[in-house]
Amino acid sequence: MSKEENKNVENSQNTWHQITSENTDRRSALKKLTAGLIAGVGIASTSCSVFSEDQEKEASQLSWDEFFKKNYKIMSDEERVQTVQRLESLYEKKTGNTINISHQGPLDDVLFGYVFNISKCQGYMDCVNACVEENNQDRDSEMKYISIHQIEKGHGFNFEKAEDEFTNEVPLKNHFYIGTQCFHCENPPCVSVCPTEATWKEKDGIVVVDYDWCIGCRYCSASCPYDGRRFNWGQPHVPEEEVNKNQHYLGNRLRKKGVMEKCTFCIQRSRSGQNPACVDACPTGARKFGNLLDPKSEIRWILENKKVFRLKEDLGTEPKFWYYMD
Amino acid sequence: MKNYFKICSLFLIVALVSCSSNQDKEQKYHGNFEKIKALEKDSIEYEVKSTDLIGNTPLILVETKEVSFFIPERKSKIQAYNCSECHTKTIPELKFKNLTGKKAHDSIKLNHATLEELTCNSCHPTQNLDHLKSNLNAKIDFNQSYKVCAQCHSSEYKDWLGGAHGKRVKGWVNPRISHTCVDCHNPHSPKFESRFPAKLNTKKIEEIR
Repeated sequence: MSKEENKNVENSQNTWHQITSENTDRRSALKKLTAGLIAGVGIASTSCSVFSEDQEKEASQLSWDEFFKKNYKIMSDEERVQTVQRLESLYEKKTGNTINISHQGPLDDVLFGYVFNISKCQGYMDCVNACVEENNQDRDSEMKYISIHQIEKGHGFNFEKAEDEFTNEVPLKNHFYIGTQCFHCENPPCVSVCPTEATWKEKDGIVVVDYDWCIGCRYCSASCPYDGRRFNWGQPHVPEEEVNKNQHYLGNRLRKKGVMEKCTFCIQRSRSGQNPACVDACPTGARKFGNLLDPKSEIRWILENKKVFRLKEDLGTEPKFWYYMD
Repeated sequence: MKNYFKICSLFLIVALVSCSSNQDKEQKYHGNFEKIKALEKDSIEYEVKSTDLIGNTPLILVETKEVSFFIPERKSKIQAYNCSECHTKTIPELKFKNLTGKKAHDSIKLNHATLEELTCNSCHPTQNLDHLKSNLNAKIDFNQSYKVCAQCHSSEYKDWLGGAHGKRVKGWVNPRISHTCVDCHNPHSPKFESRFPAKLNTKKIEEIR
């Protein structure tokens, strides 16, 4: 062995010693390793490109910070502002268009509730359209948060016999229509099963998902008794001109492959006083939305004066989504 | 013995502290209605008002013993209101004239109940057409056309006042602004037509066409 080779062996042993002797936990070790990797790749790529080095550096710094951010639930207000700004500028760098991502928190004295009139729904499906457009759902896999079930009269609520992909003229004779979506349970099973706490119930009752903390295990989807959750099996795709630029961090911001998503009562709209898109779009007025804590609200009048019911009440999930009849 | 008391009191303090810290966490309610009853408030002020959301639409107040809310103003949306600008003569006078040619309201087909129950004259008076009329020939303003509908459709009217029938204009926040009957129903043909479902996110719509 030559002297030089000896030196090399010594060096590598030293470095190995440095790594092992350091008291690092798994997370920070991983962080450093990926940092090295990304830096290496970064150097390689920047050395090749001549144009806009600074911009690329900035973008890689932004995505770096994005990658190692906290769970939204435990972020401080400042950190929330920072991540929202990062996401906005990353989108602008990628597409040249500006978006507005809100991080508005729950309003005081508000608990959102929803009621659905099964006598009025005619199966026009305008709600589904509005929902897809508002919430930037994947066009390729035809993802829909809302399902409208066409059920023949006289068989009760038999969802197994229901037609969910009907293409007939509506309303069909001797059939009724019932819509399902996320029911925003007070006692949500999806929240308790999530291993990474990527989904939780907000103070105003909306069950939300942090798309950047979801690991895509789909436990929540399996635990939901109402088929309320949707999974991105592929890279979601929305044509750039159709992207709704008015977004919320916990709502309709663009998702990625392998994460769970669902109805958020259009959090970007409802927290600024507007109705969810489905409520506004419904031509029959079958959909009602409001604050359960306001005794003078219409939703409270309906709960107190009409015959209301919920699906699978015996499970104790306490959905905040009621059905009623005329 | 002294030590025993000390330990006991220590336990008590720890228990009390843990109890009080538990209260800081979200309280568990037995069901939605218990939570609603515990947290509801008689007057809630929202930062956003529904009037901010609808722009400059003029509003009409609907007031009954139980509720009061707003509906959008109607007259300005009616084509060629005031009616009296054309209707200078009463309907019986016009009838004697034996008019030929195209009539102004030919496009209106009455498809509302049967002609035994309801004719043009049930809602529109024969004189002074700037108003609607009740069954007892009382004047009803076009802005309050819901009063005409309410004469027959009493259960729908009750549900509309409460909020179970009809829909809100834009937001859910206060003050309540609801659509009036004729915003959704054509008074001359109030039933909703059957049609194909609007399906943006499926390719099946192309197959139908």
